[in-house]
Amino acid sequence: MSKVMGFLTARRGHGGRWHWTDVVTWVWLIGGTIIMFGPALWLISSSFKGPAQLAEFPPTLLPYVQELAVVDGYDDPLPLFTATLEDGTTQVLAEVRRVGTNAQMVDPANPETRIDVNIADRTPVRQIGLATDNYVAPLVANDFVRYLWNSVFVTMMATIITLLTNSMAAFALSKYDFRGRNAVMLLIVGTLMVPLSVILVPLYSVVNATGLLNSLWGVILPTVATPTGVFLLRQYMLTIPDELLEAARMDHASEWQIYWRIVLPLAAPALAVLAIFSVVWRWNDFLWPLIVLSRRELYTLQVGLNTYAGELNVQWHYILAMTVVTMIPVVLVFLFLQRFITTGIAGSGIK
Amino acid sequence: MGQITLRGIRKSFSGVDVIHGIDLTIADGELAVFVGPSGCGKSTLLRMIAGLDRPTTGTIEIDGQDVTRTSAAERGLAMVFQSYALYPHMTVRQNLSFGLENTRMPKNDITARVDDAGRMLEIMDLMDRRPTQLSGGQRQRVAIGRAIVRNPTAFLLDEPLSNLDAELRGSMRAELAGLHDRLKTTMIYVTHDQIEAMTLADKIVVLRKGVIEQVDTPLGLYNRPQNLFVAGFIGAPNMNFFNAVAVDGQAELPGGLRVAVPGNGPVTIGIRPQMLHLADPDAPALTGTIRLIEALGAETVVHAAAADGTAMVVVLSGQPALRTGETIRLAFDPDALHVFGADGQRLD
Repeated sequence: MSKVMGFLTARRGHGGRWHWTDVVTWVWLIGGTIIMFGPALWLISSSFKGPAQLAEFPPTLLPYVQELAVVDGYDDPLPLFTATLEDGTTQVLAEVRRVGTNAQMVDPANPETRIDVNIADRTPVRQIGLATDNYVAPLVANDFVRYLWNSVFVTMMATIITLLTNSMAAFALSKYDFRGRNAVMLLIVGTLMVPLSVILVPLYSVVNATGLLNSLWGVILPTVATPTGVFLLRQYMLTIPDELLEAARMDHASEWQIYWRIVLPLAAPALAVLAIFSVVWRWNDFLWPLIVLSRRELYTLQVGLNTYAGELNVQWHYILAMTVVTMIPVVLVFLFLQRFITTGIAGSGIK
Repeated sequence: MGQITLRGIRKSFSGVDVIHGIDLTIADGELAVFVGPSGCGKSTLLRMIAGLDRPTTGTIEIDGQDVTRTSAAERGLAMVFQSYALYPHMTVRQNLSFGLENTRMPKNDITARVDDAGRMLEIMDLMDRRPTQLSGGQRQRVAIGRAIVRNPTAFLLDEPLSNLDAELRGSMRAELAGLHDRLKTTMIYVTHDQIEAMTLADKIVVLRKGVIEQVDTPLGLYNRPQNLFVAGFIGAPNMNFFNAVAVDGQAELPGGLRVAVPGNGPVTIGIRPQMLHLADPDAPALTGTIRLIEALGAETVVHAAAADGTAMVVVLSGQPALRTGETIRLAFDPDALHVFGADGQRLD
């Protein structure tokens, strides 16, 4: 702990005084944290606010819920308000109903007497609380669990196939010397310049013709061959010494074994990077699944989220809550795989 | 068995010839050393024997069988690479067993073989470590172990000691020699270090620019180099060479000393620095001006310039009283002279 304090209070100026670079560093770091992390926190906090609170201006930082009280003679719990009465005293009252600019209220302790209060003279009694219904309703009542599963399936399958096929291509392009190797590589990298919107229609025809429309495989298969992945893995595999492969060849290893037991494990750091990319890409994919999937039970999360944004009414509280749900897996993937990237197991045994 | 025969081997890389026709036989159980300056093609030749490269023309035979088109794995050879090429993601034990697993050998046999090799090379306590956790000498042992477990017809070693420090290189050299004595397997050893070549080899193959210059035993090479290149390459410090013209079986060294030589016309006379000694005051002598004296204690290395300016090196035993700038008078046994003709070939 004292080390942490020592680190935080360290100054470039002599004798612990502030140097101008200290000020700039702190401003930069704090500002950066707010800019990077602020929106995410704002999203999470807002996802627990009810629809009314979301529409409120000025917005509140934390989610609040209005307190309710069970009053004799009323079936449902009534919302509580702090009301300023005509004589200038304030009292906590429960609202029975609102008529125009007037609210009919009762004292919970004395429910027989109705009190009329102008709505400008009352403020809701609130405390910090979570509108968990934002989460429960879509997950239980709507098909969000189904969407979640679809998304997980698409992401997992697409990532596994991406890693497998791209690493095979990268292996051939980095470790075999054949005529036209560079041309093939150029061709693959060249496809980076073709955006999805250009090939959308032909791709749709192909998927339609192969009967993959309205199937999760129709979302998965067209995305698995990524030029970025091939390029990334190839560049990494170029750094694996050829002597290791030759040693394996002398060791009776077949070309498949060389790929599977030597090259793949050594390319693990690059594979981890590609896995992260692939998971994030597939998880966040919106346009392509929207086109391929038209049956509701096949929707992925991103497409499912879109159903809350109607033409006339946007259900922000559900969108915000489900956005948080969609964020969680991506964050988890980063948490677990980033260790892989930084450690990097290929401290190649070659001097 | 492990007799390796090369016939008319040529190799060119994208049109550039690097090996110009090599014929060579390495007998079973022999330790042959390929030696030569960098770029002479010795590693290429080894890689062709291993099966990692294909010769452009020519055939390679192992025990009389043509293996030119056989894959590296099928040749039954094992190779130790200069960089060791240990699989960095496997433990030492996995490194050793990898080749055996690929031949679908039963697990028990693999364990037994790996343990045998481990005991022989004294790496049993390193079995669970990764190559990155080993020192240079330990990696070297593991690399050799990986070759031994395969029980190969021949070992191919590509500059295996060049990554070690001088002290370790000396002890590993001795261990390799001991290993060869024990295993009695054919070994082909590539090096540019002539001390390794001289100490290890049964047979040295001297290569230059893709051509074999001479094949002989270490002492054969030292005592009777067949050409100027071999004479200059083998032996340290390098042999002294003097240009002369032979007339009637006599040639004149710089300074006027006459020696008997075979042949006629321009010749190059070579004499090893160790064969020169200080001449008696009255006797005829080869003279030179001392440029530099390196006193090493047991011996003194004198750099001098002969009368015509030719640089020469003399290794004198003990600590003779000499000073830079003085004239040195040297004598030698006429039998110790090596005479080469204008084409660089030995004259006898």
